[in-house]
Amino acid sequence: MTSRPLSTVAFTGSSSSGKYGPRTGRIRIDRQDGTPILHTDTPALLTATSRGLVPHLSRDNVHLTQAIRHLQLPFESFLDRNPPVPTLVGGTHPLHTLLGFSPDNHIVILTLRDPSDGRKMPPNGTDFVSGQCTRGVRKVNLTAWKNYAAQCKPDLVVALSDTPFTPAPHSQKRLTKSIERSIAWLADFLRVSPADPSATQPRNVLVHLAGGIEPSARSEFAERLSEPIEQKDAPGLSPPMNTLNDGVAGYVFDLLPLHTALAADVSRSEGLASLDDDLLHASHHQRSSHETSTELAELFRASLDPLPADKLRVINSPTSPHEILRLVRDVGVDVVDGFWAQRAADIGIALDFRFPAPRHSTPEFSVKGAPPPLARKDEKLDLGHNLFDPRYRHDHARLASSFLDGKSSAELTPDSGSPLPMPVCSCHACSPHSPASRMLHSPVDVHAWADVSPSTLQPPFVRAYVHHLLHTHEMSAHSLLVMHNLTVFAAFLSGIREVLRHGDTAGDEFDREVARFEETYDERMSLWNEAERMWLEVEHARGKGRLAREKEKQAASTIGTAVDL
Amino acid sequence: MQFEVLAKCHTTRARVSRMRLAHGVTMLPTFMPVATQAAIKGLTPQQVEALGVNLILNNTYHLNLRPGIEVLKQAGGAHKFQGWNHNLLTDSGGFQLVSLSKFTKITEEGALFASPFDGEPTMLTPEESISIQHAIGADIIMQLDDVVSSLTVGPRVEEAMWRTVRWLDRCIEFHQKSGKDTVQNLFAIVQGGLEPDLRDKCLDEMIARRDKVAGYAIGGLSGGEEKDIFWRMIKQCADKLPDDRPRYSMGIGFAEDLLVCVALGVDMADCVFPTRTARFGVALTSKGPLNLRLGKHAKDMRPIEEGCPCPTCSSGMTRALLNHTATLETAAAHAITQHNLVFQARIMGGAREAIIDGTFPQYLKQFFANYFGDAGYPEWCVNALRSVGVDLLEDRPDAKVISGDGAKWEYSDAA
Repeated sequence: MTSRPLSTVAFTGSSSSGKYGPRTGRIRIDRQDGTPILHTDTPALLTATSRGLVPHLSRDNVHLTQAIRHLQLPFESFLDRNPPVPTLVGGTHPLHTLLGFSPDNHIVILTLRDPSDGRKMPPNGTDFVSGQCTRGVRKVNLTAWKNYAAQCKPDLVVALSDTPFTPAPHSQKRLTKSIERSIAWLADFLRVSPADPSATQPRNVLVHLAGGIEPSARSEFAERLSEPIEQKDAPGLSPPMNTLNDGVAGYVFDLLPLHTALAADVSRSEGLASLDDDLLHASHHQRSSHETSTELAELFRASLDPLPADKLRVINSPTSPHEILRLVRDVGVDVVDGFWAQRAADIGIALDFRFPAPRHSTPEFSVKGAPPPLARKDEKLDLGHNLFDPRYRHDHARLASSFLDGKSSAELTPDSGSPLPMPVCSCHACSPHSPASRMLHSPVDVHAWADVSPSTLQPPFVRAYVHHLLHTHEMSAHSLLVMHNLTVFAAFLSGIREVLRHGDTAGDEFDREVARFEETYDERMSLWNEAERMWLEVEHARGKGRLAREKEKQAASTIGTAVDL
Repeated sequence: MQFEVLAKCHTTRARVSRMRLAHGVTMLPTFMPVATQAAIKGLTPQQVEALGVNLILNNTYHLNLRPGIEVLKQAGGAHKFQGWNHNLLTDSGGFQLVSLSKFTKITEEGALFASPFDGEPTMLTPEESISIQHAIGADIIMQLDDVVSSLTVGPRVEEAMWRTVRWLDRCIEFHQKSGKDTVQNLFAIVQGGLEPDLRDKCLDEMIARRDKVAGYAIGGLSGGEEKDIFWRMIKQCADKLPDDRPRYSMGIGFAEDLLVCVALGVDMADCVFPTRTARFGVALTSKGPLNLRLGKHAKDMRPIEEGCPCPTCSSGMTRALLNHTATLETAAAHAITQHNLVFQARIMGGAREAIIDGTFPQYLKQFFANYFGDAGYPEWCVNALRSVGVDLLEDRPDAKVISGDGAKWEYSDAA
């Protein structure tokens, strides 16, 4: 076995309101291999991948999308081959090499399981976790995971932990076992093999904070993390590691199993029939609310109370920007995964919202005539446009009303220097450029391109076009929407950072803006229900019954599968 | 349209030409990728342009149904609707009426079919087809033709041929009156099935109208007929069509078909094959198609083709990763589509270069040796190229020759 991953990850964060206030920070990744040291400002976006790819994006489009900087790579799909393909690549950045990411720009986080896939799984064992691949369920034991991480050299790696993907509720006994295993597995992951003295302690390990929806179990897990390491466990765990917590770079919170367990809790206490025990869908009617956000914040604090504040906090599979804002406000989270925005692109939604929310009193909504999202009965706006909806058939406006497209912004600022009425969406759907170069296939091809200038700003792709592509089942619809939605989502996080940078009064201003956002945008996400319904209708209208049921299950719980090839 | 022949092959009928249309210059011979519904499957127009492609095809039948002419007019035409700044060709919709609808009935007036929306009888006349193509705004538009399957025999074939000639007259008249004939270029479609007599009569009629049409298509082929008949029909038409008009062979996309057609004097061809096969995980290479779904590619860290300049191969995308993702991730389809379109463009670009350099016969020999060297040459290709003075077997007395259509596919792991 070659040496352990050598990246070191440092996080510096600051909050003006204590341990749990909203905070900004900076992640610093030093791979110590000659590639540039990478810095990212937080809160930051973590792009989800499926089978190693950003769903719907070819490599050139990944590189066009500046919002894509951190990528979460679930390893489980590669378990279909033994040894798994990523372990065969070699070199200094095997994952970047295999998947076409740029070491100078992209940070890859390796995790065994897809955090947005909540399907029921066979139970984990004392030293293995069950992963899902096209050939079925595969067991990954502790040694294998250590080896995979060592061979793949990710920038960050998530230690195995024992999260039950069996129907909630989980017994006290199950929770205790989950904690015991997760602690033991982390200790094992951090331990350097005595047989390999050249290996160094990994400095890039993230750990799931275990304990489910029991605050006491969560504290218990966190306390175990911060206990002094016992002598018998010490070999292989080199100083200055006094606690396991010293050995981790950050914490991961998976919202999907928590939401599922909370929902099961509610239905049990209300005497309702238990949820479909077969499926724990991320998109399947998991909706956020003030209540669930409060509960989640309490659970997270139960975990974080015994722990220091200086580690990265990652949340996976939030269900709305409202939920993200409240968790930023009440817990202080640093990295947020993009599943939610990417799933929206799967079902035909173009996101159209900003933080801070636009002010109705300004005329900006009407600039260049892009109609704003629909207002619901309570006057709250949708977070985007369900472009399946027939209302968009004749809508020749850019995708988002709350962002300008590149071309109109260029026309609005000739030389006056007056500020733009709103930010520009830099995605390839709203601000496409003609290619910088074209391939020439014969010497006379220069005639063909002589009068066509490269790299020029093109008009935006419009709603009517994407509507057409969705109804004709064209994959390009989803490519455009993914680039757009990730860009809007990254701008949302950038908006959060912006407000939080305003110094001493930032906390109050942030609170006010969160409240205004909640008043402006619909959190019940009626739009999502409608879009999913229309998406399924178009899917069914196509009349191909290929594994329809299995496909529906799969489609609703993972991203990127929305299109029948 | 400005059409200028720049170079001719000294041996075969192949030629290189420059075709200037309202949206720029396209160098011929060329392969035209098909954007049926106003998108090359999975790609943005900028991605297509980056591949060095500047003439694509939209389908009139499909665009007329969705998004509909009204939407296209609001957008200012199909170019603007799909963000495509380069040349565009639309078919007439006749082929889809026959291939997609069992209930289409051809009358002298036009094609009567059941609307796919409400089942109401709907008539597509030659005038209506041109009018729709005017709204779409393509640089090259096609006459409505009476398409019969290339397997049809009997009087129906002759009837369809004569009707196609009459419909051409109606298309010409409508097109000229519209005033659009200065920007949009109408192509005639030579029909006549697999019968040389009928093809000849059709050619005579259509060549008589040469001042009113910008180019000629050869229609009614590649519908399952024997390849040995297919090339003879192409040759007959290409030989007779005027030199100063582009010749377009409809529905041709296999590499060997393309090169044979070019050698016989064809300038343009289109087919969904390279983009469709990409979605099924098949990548085209100079050594034949590669079925990336096969287990033998699962750990293969090579690109689809070494030295290929396409975005997929040049980014280091491996066969292993494509095997992992093909038919499961749309992005894998995009990657293979980009590669396959570049493969098609390179074949045709290589032909242009070789024709100019006077090395086209060698180019053909080299290509066929690579592509079929191991599996055996399709006999029809050997025959077709001999008819224009190129003997693929000249220096290869031991080469295997396969009768039939000779397509070479990697079907399973056993292959």
